[in-house]
Amino acid sequence: MKSVKNHISLIIPLFAILFSVEFYLIIDRIIQNYEKSLANDYSIIVVSKRPLSLDELKLVDEDIVSIKEIDASLVINRLKQNNINVDYNELKNFLPRFYKIFLSTFPSANKLNQIKAKLMKTEGILRVETFMKTHEKMYNFLIFIKNLSKIFLAIIFITSAMLVFKQIEVWNLEHQERMYIMSLFGAPLWMRNAILVKLSIIDTIISTLLVYAVYYYLLKSGYFSKFLGLEDIALNPDVLRTDMIWMFLLGFFISIFSIMIVSSRQPKIS
Amino acid sequence: MSKNVIIAKDLVLEYKKDQPIIKNSNFTIKSGEFVFITGPSGSGKSTLLKSFYGELKPKSGILQIGGVMLNDIKPSKLAFLRKYLGIIFQDYKLIKEWNVKKNVMLPLLIAGYSKDVCEAQTKRLLKHVRLEGKENYFPVELSGGEQQRVAMARALAHNPVIILADEPTGNLDEYSSRVIWSLLEGANEQLGTTIVVVTHSIPSNLKVPFKHLYIEEGRVYEIG
Ligand SMILES: Nc1ncnc2c1ncn2[C@@H]1O[C@H](COP(=O)(O)OP(=O)(O)OP(=O)(O)O)[C@@H](O)[C@H]1O
Ligand SMILES: [Mg+2]
Repeated sequence: MKSVKNHISLIIPLFAILFSVEFYLIIDRIIQNYEKSLANDYSIIVVSKRPLSLDELKLVDEDIVSIKEIDASLVINRLKQNNINVDYNELKNFLPRFYKIFLSTFPSANKLNQIKAKLMKTEGILRVETFMKTHEKMYNFLIFIKNLSKIFLAIIFITSAMLVFKQIEVWNLEHQERMYIMSLFGAPLWMRNAILVKLSIIDTIISTLLVYAVYYYLLKSGYFSKFLGLEDIALNPDVLRTDMIWMFLLGFFISIFSIMIVSSRQPKIS
Repeated sequence: MSKNVIIAKDLVLEYKKDQPIIKNSNFTIKSGEFVFITGPSGSGKSTLLKSFYGELKPKSGILQIGGVMLNDIKPSKLAFLRKYLGIIFQDYKLIKEWNVKKNVMLPLLIAGYSKDVCEAQTKRLLKHVRLEGKENYFPVELSGGEQQRVAMARALAHNPVIILADEPTGNLDEYSSRVIWSLLEGANEQLGTTIVVVTHSIPSNLKVPFKHLYIEEGRVYEIG
């Protein structure tokens, strides 16, 4: 019973550390995906008196990656449908050109205003429409969550690492006599600490599996995306597999580090 | 003309500053010798033995074991030295979480022998100390005499160059004492192991020649 309690006292802080690190990784990934999908969807509409080329716009701002002219016949067809009686061929020459401009990343409001101002200064451009709307709010919310999880991660990391250290200290005391006797027969440090290493490997594996199970459920069920209000951005739970290797290594590293500190200041019994 | 395995020159041992337990003592122990250390209670017998296995560093003077200076020995070097020692403690010092078999195996595991060798050697030793059939017992399930015989088997397991024993038969029954003395004699006679035994009474029926170091008032005297 006592040993079960001992294990739990290590598993809980390890779980907390790994859980919060994984949380941060997932949030970060979601933000990246979201940025990408926003950038893909998002475009600035420019109305110009003269033809514009990509090369020219790239000089205006290097974040502009493509440009697509909106076919004037679309506009004309509209007018035709409404039975407006004009000379359409004539009109075509009068109509300004419409362009969609795409950016490499989803811009912040500031950046967007800069681009808009620069475009407006370009000769021939009549109008620039940026459609800054709900996208921005969502994006800011995600950045807020990301920053929040950074703080959350730091706090959890420090307190949990202290708990891990305490538990290893308890184990060390429990096994001190055995380790002392082993040293009397010339056992090297690694051999004396082997028992502590073994215990912490087991607990790191258990914590890692727990973290995997929880996130697998959260991602698979879409709960995570729902929680963020981003149901269209699904994260494949497969990303967890490589993450878990890192989580195991991180947990293992924290335990080994504690063992090294604890055993380096081990008092002698005589 | 055997060489000295333990050399003490002007050796001073103390736990607390300026309260020496052993004062400026000189003695040598030759390879293959059987040595008894006697003296009144509290005279420093265990203290002297402790210094031999590096648990207590000399305050001053020189202490050399197997050519290794113990004065300011590094932990890794001490671990190396201890592999060549077999120690028997008055309070047995068995590992209570381990069964008899694993306890005896400890020095073999440390020396890195293969599993087969460990098993075979342990089996042989447990027979020697008359504990066959108890390999899976834990120390708490054994009598004092049985525990000391396990400790004896452990001390012999890796064929140490020197055996250091602190009152190995201190409070043992007749039978266990006889087993232990005959094993110590056997190791000394057949393998040439150097034996250093702290005791309050030298057994009268010992077959091997021995050397006698007597401690009184912090000084070590060689008798006879
Ligand atoms: N760890 C220690 N710290 C301080 N003093 C100690 C320590 N161990 C022993 N002593 C002191 O050293 C002196 C010698 O002790 P030691 O155990 O060597 O005696 P001994 O000859 O083995 O006695 P006994 O025959 O009773 O076992 C004693 O006065 C004891 O109080
Ligand atoms: Mg003593």
